[in-house]
Amino acid sequence: MDCLVCHDTTGTYKKSPANAGWPDDSVDLKFVAENVGHSSRQSCGNCHFNGGGGDAIKHADMGSNLAQPHPECDVHMGNLDFSCSECHTTRQHRIAGRSSSVAAAEGVVSCEDCHSATPHLGNSLLDHHLNKHSASIDCNTCHSPVYAKCTSTKTWWDWSKAGDKQRKPVLQDLGDVKGLPDYHVKKGEFRWQRAVQPDYSWFNGSMERVILGDAVDTRADIIALTAPVGMRNDPNARITPFKIMKGVQAFDALHHTLLIPHLFPRNADDSTAYWKHYDWAKSFADGMNAAKLPYSGDWLWKETWTYWRVEHEVMPATMALTCVQCHSSLQGEKTCDRCHQDSRHVDFKQLAHKTTDFRFLEGKRNDVEQLTQSTDYINFKNLGYKGDPIIHGGRFKQLPMGQVDKLNTTSVIDK
Amino acid sequence: MIQQLFRLKIALLVVLSIMLMVQPSLAAIETVAAQNDDVVWTAPGQEKARQRAQQIIPMVDKVKEEGPIRRSQRLHATELSIKDAKNTYFLLDSPFIKAQEDHYGPVRFNHGQHAAASGDCSICHHLRPADNSSYIGDSNHPETVRCSACHQQAFHPDYPERLGLKAAYHQSCTPCHQQQNKGPVTCSGCHLNKVPEHKQLVKLPEKPDALQVTAECLRCHEDEANDMLHTAHWQWRGPSGHTQDHSREIRHGKGTTALNNY
Repeated sequence: MDCLVCHDTTGTYKKSPANAGWPDDSVDLKFVAENVGHSSRQSCGNCHFNGGGGDAIKHADMGSNLAQPHPECDVHMGNLDFSCSECHTTRQHRIAGRSSSVAAAEGVVSCEDCHSATPHLGNSLLDHHLNKHSASIDCNTCHSPVYAKCTSTKTWWDWSKAGDKQRKPVLQDLGDVKGLPDYHVKKGEFRWQRAVQPDYSWFNGSMERVILGDAVDTRADIIALTAPVGMRNDPNARITPFKIMKGVQAFDALHHTLLIPHLFPRNADDSTAYWKHYDWAKSFADGMNAAKLPYSGDWLWKETWTYWRVEHEVMPATMALTCVQCHSSLQGEKTCDRCHQDSRHVDFKQLAHKTTDFRFLEGKRNDVEQLTQSTDYINFKNLGYKGDPIIHGGRFKQLPMGQVDKLNTTSVIDK
Repeated sequence: MIQQLFRLKIALLVVLSIMLMVQPSLAAIETVAAQNDDVVWTAPGQEKARQRAQQIIPMVDKVKEEGPIRRSQRLHATELSIKDAKNTYFLLDSPFIKAQEDHYGPVRFNHGQHAAASGDCSICHHLRPADNSSYIGDSNHPETVRCSACHQQAFHPDYPERLGLKAAYHQSCTPCHQQQNKGPVTCSGCHLNKVPEHKQLVKLPEKPDALQVTAECLRCHEDEANDMLHTAHWQWRGPSGHTQDHSREIRHGKGTTALNNY
């Protein structure tokens, strides 16, 4: 890091990929230095939009489109021109923000910092119900109902398939994002997705993390290298959207540790780099030696998952999830009388039966109509409920709303 | 007589300036943007707020004489709420603020959040124009005209009792944030400071190398450089307070223990 990489306002500063952090020779450093200023979406994004070696590959909700986003891609950055540091506030160059991918954090940013714990303004019935949801549901669950809307992201990366020089990549189009390859000889097999419905987990702000050198259970079908911490009866946990980055990686067959390959050739004489010789044995031996970790010489390929929290790409309020998209039981209801004394002044249909306005996603995925009509959007059973909490009870309150169970209240209580 | 003439002149100036401000209407700007491919990108909500902030509206001449409690009660009786507000977001960036000095960037003001949190419009909208007629166009309601309807230039010769707009903002925001123990109270809590022009400040030869440039930055910014050396962006590791079973450690990060083969 030097000063200019963050404080460049000209957009001309760049690093040289093979030169360990030094600026590229073509950069006019004097010009950049004479035009320094605050960091911007572009200067932060030069690194953070490119996690995984390309645009929005790992961080699904952070791609180069956010430099000049469409307002419906991200309402803060696209409609109100927020720069990263307006939310990720800094103190003595320590930048607030906690990542799901990397352990180091120098402060926490949350929607509530600006929007408070009761962010639905007004005193209507809907505001009241939505504000009660805020204690159990992360803002992004409703307000970022799909990720990678305005770009595409890798959701599958299988390293074990790398090295096949005969295999030709098949190119895929996702709406106006064209020519996404399903294969690269250096990296293996990929799957790309766009405008993706997230996976939902209870999350209390902490992550489980396998760290370098940790042994894992390699008999398991899937090894989670990161995973959100939280459960239904944890009062600090909220239902939170994630992208799960799935793939296949190599583990030491004896030590059960994730192997670190040596990929990028150090110089012209490099004899072990995978991207030069396509020999995993040499690449792992060198990589693990460099990481000062034991290596048995045998490896096995395993499916790995990492969880990436969806935090950006907040959509305008009109595109937030609506009641009926999670609470399928509302579909059959005509009035509020399941929970309340009925009032003819309330337009229940308008309130509860309305679906999300996903027209913006037309052309970005093929099944927008299906997505709009979907119910149980966040998958209650996966989150530890028997089904729609309106029927089966919430996590801390078991109000007698499941009318079928009305006479036998104990059966309503979902232990 | 002279006083009246002076007021007339001011009024004329104000009307002229409004005409100039309003001239390139939003619709016109959008059409130009659609036609011109290399037009500068703008965020529409922010652009509208920016244009609203530049408008100078006719100054309220007489305010209704009314004590704060009566006013609060009366406003509650009208059942005015945030749902009646024309705008939930403002950029506080009036030309009046920058008339004397201009060291800080404009403030984003979340009108909706403030209205909902206080539940009492009269806390900020502490007085109203004496008559109803001419202010409805700018606000949805004559009770809640914007700050700059009464507070404009500082030390206004005709309204010496009124604070200028900049003082009005600071007197309204800061003490309330202090009393409520909520919201920022420092300069940089609300404002981004403006980075001074560096063309004259930076002394570098033609084609400097990277180390020369950093040394030149450090000539003035030594403290910032020292701060930087202790950050996660420099060390590639830092406190892992949110990692299960490693919450009291500082050794983890992308440069040390992170597993990152993608």
